[in-house]
Amino acid sequence: MRTLTLAVILILGTGFLSYADEKAEVLQLAKSRIDRVVGLLRSKGISKVERNKKIITIINPIFDFALMAKISLGRKHWRPLSAQERKEFIDLFVLRLQESYLDKLDLYTDEEVVVEEAVTVKKRIHVLTHLVTKDDKLEMVYKFYKSGNNWKIYDVVILGVSVVQTYRSQFRGILKNTSFADLMEQLRTKGGFTIPTKKFKKASAS
Amino acid sequence: MTFLGRLIIGDTKSANQLWFTLALVIFLFFGCASQNGIPGTGTPPGNGESTREAPQQLGKSGSEAAPAAPPGDKSEEDSEKISDEFEDEMAAELDKEFAEKELDEVSDPFSGYNRSMTVFNDKLYTWVLDPAGRGLRFVLPEYSRRGIANFFDNLLYPLRLINNLLQAKFANSGEETLRFVTNTTIGVFGLWDPADKWFGLEAHDEDFGQTLGYWGVGPGPHIVLPFLGPSNLRDMFALVPDYYLDPATYYIDSEKDQLALRVFKEVNKTSLHIGEYENLKRDALDLYPFLRDVYEQNRAKLILE
Repeated sequence: MRTLTLAVILILGTGFLSYADEKAEVLQLAKSRIDRVVGLLRSKGISKVERNKKIITIINPIFDFALMAKISLGRKHWRPLSAQERKEFIDLFVLRLQESYLDKLDLYTDEEVVVEEAVTVKKRIHVLTHLVTKDDKLEMVYKFYKSGNNWKIYDVVILGVSVVQTYRSQFRGILKNTSFADLMEQLRTKGGFTIPTKKFKKASAS
Repeated sequence: MTFLGRLIIGDTKSANQLWFTLALVIFLFFGCASQNGIPGTGTPPGNGESTREAPQQLGKSGSEAAPAAPPGDKSEEDSEKISDEFEDEMAAELDKEFAEKELDEVSDPFSGYNRSMTVFNDKLYTWVLDPAGRGLRFVLPEYSRRGIANFFDNLLYPLRLINNLLQAKFANSGEETLRFVTNTTIGVFGLWDPADKWFGLEAHDEDFGQTLGYWGVGPGPHIVLPFLGPSNLRDMFALVPDYYLDPATYYIDSEKDQLALRVFKEVNKTSLHIGEYENLKRDALDLYPFLRDVYEQNRAKLILE
């Protein structure tokens, strides 16, 4: 009986250990990237354009933007698209996500980002962080999955609000009433982004 | 005790008034939503309601890009194996997960009304609240405005305490009480927050909407309230007890003064968050569903906490 218990503990233990290893690895990955981004945000002697370029090169390797685009659109709407349309959609969506991310960083003043812990959820790892502002503590969760040998982010959840889920719901609504071409047009022009096209004129979405 | 007393016995007249107004407002909303085919603001032309009742048949109505797919997933899979790039297990799994969460928020019977009200609130923010907030920011330094915000926040202690207790969160109730005592004394009537800064006592915001959610009451349909913004049926009813536990309600007699105070509180809060709404809004392809999802997802999370 005792040996059995021991065996179970050992087997479970090694299982946990390998998870723990991966958790530590992902936590470290998130922490180092976030620290580098915050470092850039705090450095004074760098132009914004230059800074943003550097930030994109830091975050690009750990975000799976293409997957985010796919699951934001959803399988059902993805299928009927031609290869060409898929590529266009991913390109446009990725630009928009990046632009949105950089736009959010403009709100940064001198807040601290605390990387709290990594949690395993269904073979995936969620990294919990807090943005500590003057009057609040905002929770941001980076969700990682294992892509080959690398861990990559497929969703970011800010105060419980999932970026992918929110886009998905908007896409669904738009595609219910209009065509894919219209969706692409809205991705190009709606909101307040300059990277996709410079057509943007009005701040409010109709 | 006084406010509870008033709430239960004393102040029934104004309570009745409030309930009546709320009921009237609700019926007006329901009326709006069920009667018109919802003209204007981006709702589907023609069959406004029938499309909304068939959430599973996504991409069905009038879309040229998506073929008229049968609602079932399996029959579709056979016919379209070729162009499916979700064969990768993870993508498919994630897609399924997000699709499952989608179903929860699909019922949106008031979307026509909600859209109009979203436009109204948006304009109100842009033209009134934001300029007022900027004005206040210009005349009062940040620490004063933060102090004011802290002061009002501290006064909402009874609301937080009761809702923490109602959710059986006794440790949090204790922490809230310690916060109240500390901030009211050392923090000079709640103007500062030494409880958090010096003693690490964290706030535990709970309202009646969260309490109801905690005990299993679902959100119900999403409803955008005039002036107050996104809400849902559950949270809308919860506004009533929340309203009576706000000291502004039981300390100030004149309703005009109460309103003035609430507006001031709101302007002061806005002044501390200038630019954030605009920044958030830039992410929206379609403002109403965007704000709706942000609200509902955030509430769901607050209830889980």
